[in-house]
Amino acid sequence: MNAAVLNRADDGPALIAVDIGHATYAALTDPRTAFWALVDKTLIADQIKAGALLDRYREKADDFARELHALRFELTPSGVYLNPTERCNLNCTYCYLPSEQRSGGSHMSEEKLIAALAKLRDYFRSVMPEERKPRAIFHGAEPLMNKAAVFAAIDAFADDFAFGVQTNGTLLDDEAVAFLTSRNVSIGLSLDGPLAEITDATRQTWGGKSVHDKVLAAMDKLKGYGSWSVITTCTTENLPYLTQMIELFHAKEVPTCMLNTLRCTQPGARGVKPADDAMAKAFFAAMDRSHELYRQTGRKLLVANFANILIGILAPTARRLMCDISPCGGGRAFFALAADGGLYPCSEFIGLPRFSGGNLFDSGGVDAALKSDAFRVVTTRDVDTFAPCSDCAIRHFCGSPCPAEAHEMNGGMDRIGAFCEFYKAQVNYALRLIADGKADDYLWDGWDESTETTFLMA
Amino acid sequence: MSQNVQAQTAQTSQTTPSAKPAAAPTIAIRKSCNPDGIGLSHYVLMDTAKAK
Repeated sequence: MNAAVLNRADDGPALIAVDIGHATYAALTDPRTAFWALVDKTLIADQIKAGALLDRYREKADDFARELHALRFELTPSGVYLNPTERCNLNCTYCYLPSEQRSGGSHMSEEKLIAALAKLRDYFRSVMPEERKPRAIFHGAEPLMNKAAVFAAIDAFADDFAFGVQTNGTLLDDEAVAFLTSRNVSIGLSLDGPLAEITDATRQTWGGKSVHDKVLAAMDKLKGYGSWSVITTCTTENLPYLTQMIELFHAKEVPTCMLNTLRCTQPGARGVKPADDAMAKAFFAAMDRSHELYRQTGRKLLVANFANILIGILAPTARRLMCDISPCGGGRAFFALAADGGLYPCSEFIGLPRFSGGNLFDSGGVDAALKSDAFRVVTTRDVDTFAPCSDCAIRHFCGSPCPAEAHEMNGGMDRIGAFCEFYKAQVNYALRLIADGKADDYLWDGWDESTETTFLMA
Repeated sequence: MSQNVQAQTAQTSQTTPSAKPAAAPTIAIRKSCNPDGIGLSHYVLMDTAKAK
């Protein structure tokens, strides 16, 4: 992205021009507040010196700054990612959890899981409004390896949490589907290829067996359910097939998918990391295909990670994913509980003991963890304070994820994440869609029903 | 698929794609709400009403 400071008045907001690759429009942004406008390129010199845009923005700049500050620094947790077991029946190439845990780790007992949820319920009651339920997501390793404990916990705390399960789908039999769907549990699956040989390149059992067909069968069982999704982790192995993934998901009536860049926290992931430009090319082709299918059928397949980029631009506080903001949501919007009771800012850190904030069953519990140095180093990671993010026009649309991979792959919390150029390309793509009046086609219907319009020029 | 599953409101929507608007010299939109996102790249829930 080419960005140049065109106006930096000492006593007012500064707008930065960004070439978004659109025939008619360029963007003007104030990165400090995540404000943006698309301006006819032939008029941009006039707009930046004076005029209605700058006048109206100056009236709102302080409000936008306060709003962004509150989003970035004043949230309290409203969700927890629970790891009810260390074990997984798969050995995926890019997993962020250590292989020795996944192959031979421990389950959390049912009694301990129940006790953990009781403590978590009490914590959330102390920080959340009574009318809101906290979210509790069973997460991996593979949570259904400890299915009996997980299902007992869901029934025991049905009134206290909105539950979700992120599973590899291989243990999602008819009984499990009936249990979870009858309790309105949100279900996430994972699939990396449109064909078995593509999925098999990164997702197999420890014995090398394919699980592709089992996941497809699980998808068929969930067809028609309102709250399920599939994650595809984008790697060098499946990048040429992302468009086909979209076609498969649309055909299977998947409501929501994610085409995620893999996290490079563990060394194994870095061996299948796509280059940023290749990732962008394949990803945008897949997004274009999703739009074609929508135009042909009138049915949307929501690509949630990209939808979140769009929402982060249109309504920063309405974002659902908390990775693409700095500080990220880890340790402040949510936290993670490991199977041994350890508390971490996010599941991504569970394989990194230095980021443990203590144990849920210690006297300090969640409160102590949130205040721990291990959490603070994540919750204070601020793209305003380190280069090259501090000069980047889109730093609050991106957040330079993820702190775990920045630390492990690039050497510190004050380093960029693994896909800096891809994020810039995504923001440009999103701004071009807004310029062309297509943004709503990539968002779920009613996405802005609970929002208030605070700035509008169109 | 259980009856309860069928009773759920599916997120897959049947709507009309956006029409291209007439070009405006300036486009700027910002919306605001109370933040409550907790998703991460390993999990997503986009139907915000479910957890309320």
